[in-house]
Amino acid sequence: MRILFFGQLKTITGNPEIVLSFAAGGADELWRELIALHPGLAPMRPQVRLAQNGEFAASTARFNDTDEIALIPPVSGG
Amino acid sequence: MQVDIAISNSALDSHPLLAAEDASEQTGAIVEFKGLVRREEAGIRIAALEYEAYQPMAENTMHRIAEDLGKTHACDRVVIVHRSGIVPVGEAAIIVRVCSKHRAESFALLTHFMDRLKQDVPIWKIRSIPLTEKPIPANIGKQSPGFSEVLAIVEAACQPLPTERFPLANAFGRVLRETITAPEDQPAFPRSAVDGVALRLDDRSEEFLIVDEIRAGDWRPRQLQLGEAVRISTGGAMPSEGLQVVMIEDVELADGRCRVKERSNETHIRVRGEDVRRGGTLLASGSSLTAGAISLLAGIGHIEPLVTRQPRIVHFTTGDELVSAQQTPGPGQIRDSNTPLVAAFFQQLGLTVAHHHLPENLAQANTALAHHATEIAAADILIFSGGASVGAHDHTPQLLHNLGFELKIHGTRLRPGKPLLFATSGPRLAFGLPGNPLAHFVGLIGFVRAAIAKLTAASTPKLQPAILASPLQAGGNTRETLWPASLSLRNGTLIAEPLRWSNSGDLATLAHTNGLILLAPGTGLLDQSTPVNVLACTQFP
Repeated sequence: MRILFFGQLKTITGNPEIVLSFAAGGADELWRELIALHPGLAPMRPQVRLAQNGEFAASTARFNDTDEIALIPPVSGG
Repeated sequence: MQVDIAISNSALDSHPLLAAEDASEQTGAIVEFKGLVRREEAGIRIAALEYEAYQPMAENTMHRIAEDLGKTHACDRVVIVHRSGIVPVGEAAIIVRVCSKHRAESFALLTHFMDRLKQDVPIWKIRSIPLTEKPIPANIGKQSPGFSEVLAIVEAACQPLPTERFPLANAFGRVLRETITAPEDQPAFPRSAVDGVALRLDDRSEEFLIVDEIRAGDWRPRQLQLGEAVRISTGGAMPSEGLQVVMIEDVELADGRCRVKERSNETHIRVRGEDVRRGGTLLASGSSLTAGAISLLAGIGHIEPLVTRQPRIVHFTTGDELVSAQQTPGPGQIRDSNTPLVAAFFQQLGLTVAHHHLPENLAQANTALAHHATEIAAADILIFSGGASVGAHDHTPQLLHNLGFELKIHGTRLRPGKPLLFATSGPRLAFGLPGNPLAHFVGLIGFVRAAIAKLTAASTPKLQPAILASPLQAGGNTRETLWPASLSLRNGTLIAEPLRWSNSGDLATLAHTNGLILLAPGTGLLDQSTPVNVLACTQFP
């Protein structure tokens, strides 16, 4: 599973993207894996939305290993 | 409704989507919103903002929002361009243009679009680049460094650049980063070293029957019988073992036979592996690819040597008094002779340089630098011409600071070249060269050249011993001096003719300078033939 980090999340993880081995699961399982890898992400979680293959993921979404997941911190375009 | 969307990292005003004809016959209103980068961001004066976008999702999301709003606000056309990367103050980060029959729909769609963009479109301001005006910390050390100390500081800051495989045909001058070994013995088979006749070493006959003719490139092995010989050209493959070649001058050829007039013990055969054995080193890592080295690599089929990536160099001139060489200077103005000097210097090293001019006003200079941010970020070496002294308009230290560089050298004990600057930001280097041409020359030959050698992993230029061609009155100056000289070789000895030198801006002297004599502080009159150390601009053996 490809995970993309944007904005300040890139600074926290020190990486624009990582590849995570993720069998299947919901947002909670995914966040658990991400926070285990990068504990600095934990405080950001309430503000960060997950995008799955270029679309915001619903809270009930299921993720699997072939997904491209982006962590979307609060946006500031325009 | 037609919707066009783009994310671009160059100025939006000239984006092709905005140049297209928007109005249809139904269009009665075109409303355009342009969001600009302000000088102040969160109370801090800035030079630019940097934007980042999750591009495919950002484009899709903007598209969906526009389509969605089009259902409730009847419009004909929406064009949205958003910037990514560094956006200097005063430039647009976004332009949205909406066309509709009446203005109300366009205004409404535009307003709602911007609100939703700021909630859902994955684009971020990731960084503001401050317009810093705080003083530079003056912690460089009390004693200004001399020549060898400056060189040591510069060289210590240089890390070799990455390597790349590069087509041999264009690799002239590149520095090799792999050891090249012989893939096979050279020559790969015994060859005749001369034009002549091959015959058996053990055959002492005087007359031979010519049974074959072998030219270079032929491959015709055969065993010679007693009384048999083969006509063979230089480079021709020997037909068998146990032979010698008698030179054509020493035989008489007639009617398919030959008579040996004179026979020495010399075999005239280049044996297999005589030049180099298989696995033997042909070229060491760090060698420069000369014409000969390229020919050697071609000969063994090594068509993509591993070499150092070319250093990327960006040059900035500062100073509002400068006009380009083709212009006639007005009162108080001078022609810019440094840009051509810098260009020619790098040309000699086989490198190209991007040149830009910076306005003297600090805020304007910062904005100008922000325009070149991508180029600056990719550069290995930044060179600033002028602006290195401590006058009111000399902002180079401040500009370097704003670009995130840390000053390592701020002034030296050298003459010329006292106000030299050297700064680093990670592996990237920046030099601030004093504005006058001779000081420029000293900075380039003395230090920038050493940095390039280190970056490319080539051998570094060294001081060489030379003999003064005529007396030199150095005047007992308290600073270490790099005195301009004309160097030449006489009977294998490097001779340095000191040139007349009145001031650092002496272009007439510079035109004849091909070396610099390093003089210790306090050096007075030196007699003719005094041994000195010189830094040669071109290579002397």
